Amino acid sequence: MSAAAQPRPDLRSFTLLSLGVAAALALHLPHLPLWLPPPLLLLIAWRWLGFSRGRRFPALLRYALILALPLGVIATYGTLFGRLPGAALAVGLLALKLTETETRRDVHIGVAVAAFTLMSALLFGQSLLMTLLVCAALWPLLAALTALQPGAGATRMLLREDALRLALAVPVALLAFVLIPRLATPLWGAPGLAQARTGISARMSPGAIGQLLIDDNPAFRVGFDGAIPPRAQRYFRAVVLWHFDGHAWTPGDAPLPLEPIAAQGAPLHYTINLETTRQTLLPALDMPLQPPAGTRFSAARTLLAAQPVDHGLRYSVTSSMRYVLAPRLDAAERRLGLQLPMNADPRARALAARWRQRYGADAAAIVDAALRMFHDDGFRYTLLPPPLGRQQVDDFLFDTRAGFCEHYASAFVFLMRAAGIPARVVAGYQGGYANRVAGYLLVRQSDAHAWAEVWLQGHGWTRVDPTAAVRPDRISLGATAAAQGSGAPWYLSGWWLGLRDRIDVINRLWDQAVVGFNALRQRGLLARFGVDPERWQSVALALGGVLGVVMAVGLALALREPAAATDDVLGRAFARLERRLARAGHRRGAGEAPVAFLTRVAAALPADGAGQLRRLSTEFARLRYACTPSASALAARNWARRAREFRP
Amino acid sequence: MPDAIATPGNASLARLPKALAQVNALVLGKTHAVRLAFACLLAGGHLLLEDIPGVGKTTLAHALAHTCGLAYQRVQFTSDLTPTDIIGVGIYEREHGQFRFHPGPLFTELLLADEINRGTPKVQSALLEAMAESQVSVEGETRALPAVFTVIATQNPLDLAGTHPLPDSQLDRFLMRLSLGYPDAAAERALLAGEDRRALLRELPARLAASDLLALRQQARAVNTSAAVLDYLQALLAATRDHAEIRVGLSPRAGLAVLAAARAWALLAGRDHVMPEDVQAVFAAVAAHRLQPLRNSSRESLAAALLAEVSVRA
Repeated sequence: MSAAAQPRPDLRSFTLLSLGVAAALALHLPHLPLWLPPPLLLLIAWRWLGFSRGRRFPALLRYALILALPLGVIATYGTLFGRLPGAALAVGLLALKLTETETRRDVHIGVAVAAFTLMSALLFGQSLLMTLLVCAALWPLLAALTALQPGAGATRMLLREDALRLALAVPVALLAFVLIPRLATPLWGAPGLAQARTGISARMSPGAIGQLLIDDNPAFRVGFDGAIPPRAQRYFRAVVLWHFDGHAWTPGDAPLPLEPIAAQGAPLHYTINLETTRQTLLPALDMPLQPPAGTRFSAARTLLAAQPVDHGLRYSVTSSMRYVLAPRLDAAERRLGLQLPMNADPRARALAARWRQRYGADAAAIVDAALRMFHDDGFRYTLLPPPLGRQQVDDFLFDTRAGFCEHYASAFVFLMRAAGIPARVVAGYQGGYANRVAGYLLVRQSDAHAWAEVWLQGHGWTRVDPTAAVRPDRISLGATAAAQGSGAPWYLSGWWLGLRDRIDVINRLWDQAVVGFNALRQRGLLARFGVDPERWQSVALALGGVLGVVMAVGLALALREPAAATDDVLGRAFARLERRLARAGHRRGAGEAPVAFLTRVAAALPADGAGQLRRLSTEFARLRYACTPSASALAARNWARRAREFRP
Repeated sequence: MPDAIATPGNASLARLPKALAQVNALVLGKTHAVRLAFACLLAGGHLLLEDIPGVGKTTLAHALAHTCGLAYQRVQFTSDLTPTDIIGVGIYEREHGQFRFHPGPLFTELLLADEINRGTPKVQSALLEAMAESQVSVEGETRALPAVFTVIATQNPLDLAGTHPLPDSQLDRFLMRLSLGYPDAAAERALLAGEDRRALLRELPARLAASDLLALRQQARAVNTSAAVLDYLQALLAATRDHAEIRVGLSPRAGLAVLAAARAWALLAGRDHVMPEDVQAVFAAVAAHRLQPLRNSSRESLAAALLAEVSVRA
């Protein structure tokens, strides 16, 4: 190492670099393994302390840590490759980089590595907040670089300059964002990313929906052409689950004909903005009438996209709120709708048999009996149910009696089938949150829900929500509120609600304009300006042209106003006042001194204005000619304000 | 006022208005010139009064000397005046058996050098050396002049026969050059009606003392000059150097002279800081005689033109 020959960076730039590293660590925090951040934080703090006292980090310890890090990552994830292990490795190595930062060159490298690690945080989330946080974390890094320059000013000046630099970079970044050709597929397949499905999936195993219920991320947003329908009617079906193996519900793979529908009442038009799910399931309000272009119906009228939704999807649907679905039951559907796993859950079967005996063929009475049982027999709604044994349905119905929608839907459909009534589980979303600011419906992952449909003679497939029998407020308030067992919590009321509405509107705009700006939309936008993103010459010309114009304008401004560099608040304020007085006909002579000028103008004004102007003039003289510059910054701003308020 | 200014100075400052009023009572209708003359004294500079005879040059000089309470000597310059006439001479004294120095009129607090351009260059340079150094070397011995030593010189610019005009390098020794000009009608009427100015002078008290003048000079040096004022002054100096009408622009020393005079002017106005207005007020008096015009334009009009051309940045 030639560290002795290299100049050592000053403590300030090292501190700024450490801050940037800590910020990168913080932004990666949500997806790092739990054991990693505390030692890294300690390491950063310890290293900073050591550097400030001029000590070197023990080399042996560093080598040991460099070996330990990948081992720990492998122990956690089983591999070094992939998005999560990669992030853990990058953050760990970045913190270790600090331990060998001894020269100015090392600081440069550290800043570059930290910037890369920061950028990789965007692989995990591209929300507006995340983007702003990443930009904010770039700030100390930039300042670390600036602090290395000879003649760097005070830290406050430094931070101010670099904030300006970041701000100046925004137009260039925007330009690059719009103009650099986008690929229809990602440049590098960050492995975990492609597999990370979100939202309702086509398999309902125990706890599957439970995970969603604590996920506050938006699932989709719905803009209705008319009024938003009442909450109790907002059931968005995503998938119909026919097959139960005693453990999990799946759609089954039998080919079925599309169920006919007899719609009544006025149809409802709405547009759904679906977040990226990487699945083909598309939620639609019960009951969609026609599949939008590019999608198709499953037999049970759930919408399916032609390919997984990788970049969000916007589609318009027409639904009918009053309908009769499948007035005549297809034989294959009847068979599927009565399927039960062999030999499972004998107690539930026995209960269903008793109902069958008592009510005979009166399906509606059996449904009622089941709902009454859920309502009266000590069933509890909770997001943290006790674990169930192998006889899932029996354990739930007769022992634990605690669970949430998936338990109730599963047990209910099981009971109906056992009692000879065709039934199926429907998974999707229920409720959602009406944004009062922008008039759309926001449905979060936590609105995920499972309910049942039973086939009744003369009514077709009829929706039954057994969860509503246990906790009607699950349907009227939402899952989280219902689980807390109280009325509306503080965050569902008042100003906080309004704030959340506004934030969600901003997030939606961000998602549509920035995250959703894909290759297709880029081509559409650029074509309007005659730029073809397929031809690199065309893009280079546009990029170079616009950047050239921007920089030429910037250069011209910089050359025109050399004094702009010095922050002369008072001088600029006086110049403004002078321009306004000139418009009023009072021009300052070439060699006329400012105070003499103001005094002369004051003499020509009526008493009120004259007094004001004289006071301004006196104060100006005091600030300009009598004070030391450092003491007068505040007073200068004050003067500028009073000068603005002056009306001749 | 900042506390840097000493209390005796403030007492001296309080006496200034009466001193000014008294000189104005003696030299009627010349308030601006009188104020400039005071500024010159407060800035510690020498004053050159240039005008035709009979407009009150000598009266002004006497009034200043008397009002400021300074011991003063008057020397009428003629072509046969020798340096020893003003500096003094060593005379052999038999009873002591050695040479003893008999100081000339130069060894005083205020020297009135009447018609300085009638003196020979030799005498002029002897005087100007004393003005520059505030000391004289006589027969290998350096003798200091009083701390407040100031020269007020007069000359007649029109009657040039048999005169030795001061070269530019020596004009530079004078902080200010003032012309009084004819008094206006009212002042002249009052002058004609009133009694003899010199007689009047003897009856009036001294309003200041040498110690006051020293304290005020110190106070003037402490007057704050902000960056804005220095910028303006520098712009003025720079403008003299690439002006179409000016052969040689102002030197940095001239700039310092303007600054010192502006400080004194600000002090006379009771301020602890210089404003561009102060620079403008003293500029012609301090800078005009240091400018060398290319053509036949007057130095005063050049200075006025410069003030009108150079803009004052706020």
